[in-house]
Amino acid sequence: MNAEFTDWLRGLKDDRLCALVTARPELITPVPAHVEGLVIRATSPSATGRTLDRLNRFALAVVETLLVMTAEDGPGLSYGDLRKAVARSVASGGATRLDAPLREAVDRLLVLALVYGPDSALRLAPGVRDVSESPAGLGPPAAEVFRHHPPERLRELIQAIHRGDTGREEAVPERLAALLAEGGIVERLLRDVGPQARAALEELAWGPPAGRLPNAWREVSVATAQSPIEQLLARGLLAATGEESVVLPREVALVLRGGQVHRDLHPEAPPLEGADRDQTMADRTAAGQAFSFVRTVEELCEYWSVDPPGILRTGGVAVRDLKRTAQLLDVPEWTAALVVEVAHAAGLVASSAPVDGEWLPTTGYDGWRVRATEDRWEALATAWLASDRVPGLVGERDDRDRLLNVLHPELRRPAAAEVRLRTLHVLASAAPGLAPTAPSVRERLAFEQPRRKGAYRDRLVDFTLREAEQLGFTGLGALSVFGRALLPAATPSSVPDPAGPSPTARRRATAPRTPTELLVPLLPEPVDHVVLQADLTAVAPGPLTSELGRWLALAADVESKGGATVYRFGEGSVRRALDAGSSADDLIAMLEKHSTTSVPQPLRYLVTDVARRHGRIRVGTAGSYVRCDDPSVLDEMMADKRAVPLRLRRLAPTVVASRSSRAVVVDSLRAIGYSPVAESSEGDVLVTRADAKRTERPSATRPAPGTSGPEADLVAAAVRAIRAGDEAHQARRQPVAAPDGQVPRTPSTGTVVALQEAIRQGSRVWIGYLDSQGHATSRILEPARMEGGYLTAYDETRAAIHRFALHRITGVADVN
Amino acid sequence: MSDGPLIVQSDKTLLLEVEHERADECRKAIAPFAELERAPEHVHTYRVTPLALWNARAAGHDAEQVIDALISFSRYPVPHALLVDIAETMSRYGRLRLEKNEHHGLTLTSTDKAVLEEVLRSRKIQPMLGERIGDDAVAVHQSERGNIKQALLKIGWPAEDLAGYVDGEHHPITLAEDTWHLRPYQREAADAFWHGGSGVVVLPCGAGKTIVGAAAMAHAQATTLILVTNTVSAHQWKQELLKRTTLTESEIGEYTGTKKEIRPVTIATYQVMTTRRQGVYRHLELFDARDWGLVIYDEVHLLPAPIFRMTADLQARRRVGLTATLVREDGREGDVFSLIGPKRYDAPWKEMENQGWIAPADCVEVRVTLTDQERLAYAMSEAEERYRFCATTPSKNRVTETLVRRHAGEQVLVIGQYIDQLDELAEHLDAPVIKGETRIKERERLFQAFRDKEIQVLVVSKVANFSIDLPEASVAIQVSGTFGSRQEEAQRLGRVLRPKASGGGARFYSVVSRDTVDQDFAAHRQRFLAEQGYAYQIIDADDVLASE
Repeated sequence: MNAEFTDWLRGLKDDRLCALVTARPELITPVPAHVEGLVIRATSPSATGRTLDRLNRFALAVVETLLVMTAEDGPGLSYGDLRKAVARSVASGGATRLDAPLREAVDRLLVLALVYGPDSALRLAPGVRDVSESPAGLGPPAAEVFRHHPPERLRELIQAIHRGDTGREEAVPERLAALLAEGGIVERLLRDVGPQARAALEELAWGPPAGRLPNAWREVSVATAQSPIEQLLARGLLAATGEESVVLPREVALVLRGGQVHRDLHPEAPPLEGADRDQTMADRTAAGQAFSFVRTVEELCEYWSVDPPGILRTGGVAVRDLKRTAQLLDVPEWTAALVVEVAHAAGLVASSAPVDGEWLPTTGYDGWRVRATEDRWEALATAWLASDRVPGLVGERDDRDRLLNVLHPELRRPAAAEVRLRTLHVLASAAPGLAPTAPSVRERLAFEQPRRKGAYRDRLVDFTLREAEQLGFTGLGALSVFGRALLPAATPSSVPDPAGPSPTARRRATAPRTPTELLVPLLPEPVDHVVLQADLTAVAPGPLTSELGRWLALAADVESKGGATVYRFGEGSVRRALDAGSSADDLIAMLEKHSTTSVPQPLRYLVTDVARRHGRIRVGTAGSYVRCDDPSVLDEMMADKRAVPLRLRRLAPTVVASRSSRAVVVDSLRAIGYSPVAESSEGDVLVTRADAKRTERPSATRPAPGTSGPEADLVAAAVRAIRAGDEAHQARRQPVAAPDGQVPRTPSTGTVVALQEAIRQGSRVWIGYLDSQGHATSRILEPARMEGGYLTAYDETRAAIHRFALHRITGVADVN
Repeated sequence: MSDGPLIVQSDKTLLLEVEHERADECRKAIAPFAELERAPEHVHTYRVTPLALWNARAAGHDAEQVIDALISFSRYPVPHALLVDIAETMSRYGRLRLEKNEHHGLTLTSTDKAVLEEVLRSRKIQPMLGERIGDDAVAVHQSERGNIKQALLKIGWPAEDLAGYVDGEHHPITLAEDTWHLRPYQREAADAFWHGGSGVVVLPCGAGKTIVGAAAMAHAQATTLILVTNTVSAHQWKQELLKRTTLTESEIGEYTGTKKEIRPVTIATYQVMTTRRQGVYRHLELFDARDWGLVIYDEVHLLPAPIFRMTADLQARRRVGLTATLVREDGREGDVFSLIGPKRYDAPWKEMENQGWIAPADCVEVRVTLTDQERLAYAMSEAEERYRFCATTPSKNRVTETLVRRHAGEQVLVIGQYIDQLDELAEHLDAPVIKGETRIKERERLFQAFRDKEIQVLVVSKVANFSIDLPEASVAIQVSGTFGSRQEEAQRLGRVLRPKASGGGARFYSVVSRDTVDQDFAAHRQRFLAEQGYAYQIIDADDVLASE
């Protein structure tokens, strides 16, 4: 443990500690007992790595600069020197704008406790050095590179480098490193080697610093060196690290880089580029998309409640089912996958059973369905934001070559929610109406999290942009006002970012209007009328009021969807409405009521014509039937009071239907005294299936980590707890010296009595104790408890709580 | 929220509210890139198809204009995916161009190397290509000019044909506008075709397509080959040309089953051209008989497949297609696009009707209830016989006779599919029949008599479906049809759409058997006619009979 760092941390004011644990919430889960616990946790490789991951490219460059410019145990670097070093790396023209970003970056690093110390001597926190492999693309320092070279080889190298060296000094890697670090030496060596060798070094100068070379351990000296590479090896400008690998020592690379740690460093985030959209237009487009997405989810649930897809054994929905669903929804497959995943994330669909189950709408769907469009959208959008699943991967194969189906458990990606949120924050940081191109968003994210870039994250960004457009977060590529309002405030870890939200974004974030309030005026207003036409279509020029919408969905078939809906009346659809209990007059009345124009004659004719034929044949359900060739027997049976519970109904002189099942009827009739025979099920009327199925709603998905920081009062409480624990710890930390003089000896009964007395009074006692090796020791204790032959007490001489076997206590005495 | 007249649907249909004050303006803006699909009374439906977009590109519109039109007239936000798709589709046209190269002859050039590579890899297209000329061009065999356009359209990269045309043998032709004048839209159509080089003119029946053809010939001033559907229609073309142009009898040849004349202007029937003897098309040489400067295809939507193949070899000649509808029952709209050319002119029926160029029509469907006996017989009939049975049921005859009586004094056409039925009707109505076996001379005599009002009722089979000019037929009664074909319906309606001397409207009856497949087919027709914007009503046969 690094004492200086610990002291620095302890010396921080409470608000600074609060800021630290707010920015690094993992440090207080669980809350450490004291400041040392905090230090151990903060300097662990994983915690340090995570914190470095959150740095933007510039802040990371500052860390790397400090890392290169200072040594592990060396003195710190002053802010001024740091500024000079960073300024050297900054791209031409940027140095003048360096001050504010650098100050901000250093302050942030101090808040994050990655850097500590006063401005006069800034130092890297312990642990940072260990997790930074090849900082700024530099190789390891010479001392480390040459550590495994045999001494005679080192001596040769030292002689080659420093011609005047007599070999008297010790041939250790540190000496070699010191020589390479000395001003002018590397430059001289570089002049000695040929241009080809120099070109080879230039290749490695800006990283990666390692190269492949067969037989890297070869014996070469300045005299015997043949190839350019051998010339380098002979002078220690390149060093072997394995049988077939060489590396460029850090000191050499820095000289090649002309003293710059980084190349073309930009203190500010790269600007977002893209088409300028009219924000109003973008909002309208996004709202249109939001509306249609909500409708698509509803359609999905309606389809699945009638015809649910089965759950694959591996989990998820079969490819065929997804294809079919996409077809029904009239969207491409990837969109269908997104719709399904979002519906699932919002708890609208779930599996009915883990084995042999089906994907069904949940009870939550019924509640969601009746809410207003804007609320429904918010529910979906929030679920999508927090989901740790990646619908974009559907259809691909995982590392084990298993197909990733939609709703497959393996679609989870821990980084998904974080990348999604970050991408949207990047969009939010753009000027209103700007539709940033995907490459510029990726570029910005690469700046914000340079340690996390990679093809995989780039894909997540692309997915996010694509899905945001589908959901209506963005319209024409620009973030919509309601999408912006729905975004949670930037995560704590990115608050003091140089590339923080623009002033407009901040102003919007504080605006009191909720996403739904912003969305409502943009959504098409529900209409309560349709336009009826002679080709038997009804055009609803906007979303219908729910009552009319439901009625039309029953009485007509949807032909085309979008801003408007085109319904077509046909024999089948009219019959459906009649089946549902309407009469022809009802239908025509409804049409007349809601049509802006007169009902066309062919439509009127269609309704009456279908109604004319409707219901001529009657079909009912019965549990069973009783038939008998002799009507008088049935007369008798119908008259029998005991048969009343069977709820018999005479359909024809020789046929009686019953609501009870065949078995019940047979048994009952036998009980009455008849001897009926059961008939085979042929001819039985099928009972229509029960209503659409439902399953239980799963417990709400927990938001993925990283989407929001801990609450402020939680942070304060955690800091208070650490402080309190630390004070207690501090107060007792130093072991007191064991008292001199004769170890007390008392009779054992006296010992127990004295200890009981001490527990009661809370006083300290001096005891003599035989440790496990049988040595007699002397302790000062604060006894706490005595039971089962053991005493539990705080041992001030060891500064810890211990259990003492009573039989080994040789005696007790008063401390004073 | 904007209140434009247009609603853009996610399935790429556009709904245009006709009564909206900006509807007219909007219609003009979207007509170039969207096909009018349905035009019922209140809301018209247009569809944006790749072909329509490419037609728009060929007419010089770009994606920007299309998107702008959609956005500025749309009531609701236009789905972004649709806009992207439109831009993408439109950008596909013209990336490949067929050009004439001085050294290499016909070449396929591309502004986009990747597209050219994709095309070169296509197995269907490879055999038509010659050697590669540099990075962005490849030679094409001269004889494959048509085929390659067809194949490229199929893989979604329609080529723009800039290889030019041969002038053909010069022949002076002028319009003789002494007693009549070209209607404005006819002039526009002919001009649009001429500037486009080749292409299709879409005009409703009765709008004077023949005259557009004559105007096109006057533009070309060259020998012309005219392909028509049948002999009667060939005669009519000849009459019309004699009347409307300076051409004389000796300059116009007929190439039909009976006559084989090849003259500066030659009119041939599809049937003759597609006649095969021992597997060989006997009359193909007609295409090479003269150095034609212009080829006119009448009723393009009926163009038979062999003619398509022949047309593929005629790509160096100017071609104009005339039709009332681009809808082909066989779905070969793409071939029309690639082989004859893009749509050059289009005018909606209703517009023309409003301007008085074609007669308004009332469509009435008369539902006949079958007798119990007929119903039983219908229920028991074989599936393949069912339509014939219900279409020719005797109950229909009585109704038809009543209708004819009701319109006594007017020129009435009775149209049907089944000869037995027509013969029977003719007997009852005491009217002559024209059917397949009626000789051409006899047909023409009867038509002339009908025109001269010597006979008032004429019973015709489907031979009369096309291109016969019956100016004074004001009532048509359809008793049976070809399974509800939309295209047939358009033609039959065309029979009565010629402007009447009296200026009165036309009436189009369909007699249909209730509760049978006949009614189902009638539903197709009803839909088509209603979609075309015609007033449509359904009445019961009993009402007709009761009114007697």
